[in-house]
Amino acid sequence: MTWNNFIYFAYPTLLCWGVSGVLINLRKYRKLALLLMSLGLLIFFSFIIGLWIGQNRPPLRTMGETRLWYSFFLSAIGLLTYYRWRYSWLLTFSSLVASIFIGINILKPEIHSANLMPALQSYWFIPHVTVYILSYAMLGAATIAASIKLYKINKGETEQGLLLFIDNLIYIGFGFLMLGLLMGALWAKEAWGHYWSWDPKETWAFITCAAYLIYIHMRLRNSHLKTTLWLLPLAFILLLITWIGVNYLPSAQTSIHTYS
Amino acid sequence: MKDNRKLWQWPWRYKESFVFILGLMLVGFALQLTVGSFNFYLLASPINYTIGGLFLLFFGFFSYSKRKTKLYTWLTSIPFSVTLIGGLLILSIFMGSIPQRLTASKSSMPLYSQFGFDAVTSMWSFVILYFLTLLSLGLTISKKLWRLQKKDFIFHTSHIGLWVLLFAAGLGSADMKRYVMHIPEGEVEWRVYSPEKDILELPIAIQLHDFIMEEYPPQLALINKTNGKLYPDSKKSFFSLDSPSPIGELGPYQVELKKYIHNAIRSSDTLYREAHMPGATPAAHITVKTNNNLTKTGWVSGGNAIQLFSTIDIDSIYSIVMTRPEPKRFLSKVDIFTKDGKEYLNQEIEVNKPFKTGDWTIYQYGYDNEAGKLSSYTSLELVYDPWLTYAYIGIGLLFVSSIALVIQGKPTKSRKI
Repeated sequence: MTWNNFIYFAYPTLLCWGVSGVLINLRKYRKLALLLMSLGLLIFFSFIIGLWIGQNRPPLRTMGETRLWYSFFLSAIGLLTYYRWRYSWLLTFSSLVASIFIGINILKPEIHSANLMPALQSYWFIPHVTVYILSYAMLGAATIAASIKLYKINKGETEQGLLLFIDNLIYIGFGFLMLGLLMGALWAKEAWGHYWSWDPKETWAFITCAAYLIYIHMRLRNSHLKTTLWLLPLAFILLLITWIGVNYLPSAQTSIHTYS
Repeated sequence: MKDNRKLWQWPWRYKESFVFILGLMLVGFALQLTVGSFNFYLLASPINYTIGGLFLLFFGFFSYSKRKTKLYTWLTSIPFSVTLIGGLLILSIFMGSIPQRLTASKSSMPLYSQFGFDAVTSMWSFVILYFLTLLSLGLTISKKLWRLQKKDFIFHTSHIGLWVLLFAAGLGSADMKRYVMHIPEGEVEWRVYSPEKDILELPIAIQLHDFIMEEYPPQLALINKTNGKLYPDSKKSFFSLDSPSPIGELGPYQVELKKYIHNAIRSSDTLYREAHMPGATPAAHITVKTNNNLTKTGWVSGGNAIQLFSTIDIDSIYSIVMTRPEPKRFLSKVDIFTKDGKEYLNQEIEVNKPFKTGDWTIYQYGYDNEAGKLSSYTSLELVYDPWLTYAYIGIGLLFVSSIALVIQGKPTKSRKI
């Protein structure tokens, strides 16, 4: 199988995931949504396996091939997380982002073969990025929820449900964040000779983790609730600096985390 | 909860923790200005092993006999740990924003440099907070170890994992050594360069049989011959030689790829043929359709140290050229010999695929960038880290706790204040 067969798998997958991402939010059709999500995964995975056999090597060498795995793992982990936590919005989010990656592969075939430099050719690449995408989604959602909660506190409402939801999202999101960081460390040892070199990207990843750690520890006590909740938008700004902002900082000139 | 205590009245909470940690950071700054930056290599073995042993003894003793004291409670309290993480976070923001140097030089003038902000990891305040973290984290673990409970699984895996990793990555790094070895093809080498460019002899010798590089197909580009710049300037336009379609655009011109040879040598002025030999270079046979419907056909090649390049002139200003191919993979075929008599023959060392023997890991580091795949030598990096196993144990424990965190989420049972 080659990339020429891609559309015959991509469109059915898009259809399955698209419909599933919508239906999961309607209580009546949840089972159907989960079935479609799994069916999409199956169709998409058979293309990956086919391409693997067709090219006689794991499809891990070009940007286009990398996107295949992003789509696959985002949906797969999204589905597993749904089974565990029943957050339908998360499944919608994963299927949407997974579909965007498929869309890029359909619409921009010329960047299929954008060359993956040797340092990026590693089995850590895909899980490292995938768990970060999921982590950022959950921490982002927690930030929005925290803003709502702060608004409610200011209005004098005191229900606990939203707070538990925020804490849960932070715990799961932080778990994914740590997994991304640890896989990054293991990869760095293989590629750059050391698992932690205080490269600007690593330093900011540490800062982000530290900020969420402060939130998690402060929430173990029920005091200082408002201050604690304000940490979440702050931590998310630090996260955005780690993700996007770090390339624009003066320290980035020495970073090995830039791939342009 | 209204806090009517005076400062320094037990039990200590955020205010005391803040003042204490700020005070220690100021002590750090004072030390920085008087004795210069902290030299981590002073902690090299056996000092770091001794400190580790003392830490463990101290944790055992302190948690056994002083568990009930106010000081112990404070050092293992949430306000203390939160403030400590906050201190590290703030110093790390400096580290992440100001370009860092490998070694802080004493002669540099800027104020931030005198305070060590351009080398935060060897800054006294940072080192003090690092040790304080080891202390507080260790005491917190030992407190809970006395009454081991199943529900504390994530607590123990994450905190113990973090302690072990912090120890191995910090104190352990004093034993770490990184050298670069350059080996010409066919020769044996055991001398290396240290980061300070000193030449040292190692207990490892490496013979390079072959340095191999595979390249991606390059691209075609349009350049302005008068200044050598890419055209059009604003929107860089390239024609990819491995695109599925043989017809494409290059700036305002239409290009058709007739033939592409990845390993080509020039056999006459107007002809390239395939040949797998050193010095082969990618070449493309193309037809270009210009605006006024004129066509030009010819070979384009980037050339290398052995072969001259070929271009197609569109007019007196613009030419079609080939970009330098980017490396797809590069590897060294080597034999490795250690002083204690071990031999590892016919090994391949590649980016992301290092070779490990004992406490040494050997990496593909570089090659002659000018010569590219014709490079006559390889550069390998040799890293010695006797603490690597401990670091991996720490990472492993943290990995387990992170997975458990994703599965378990926030425990729903409400906690007491």
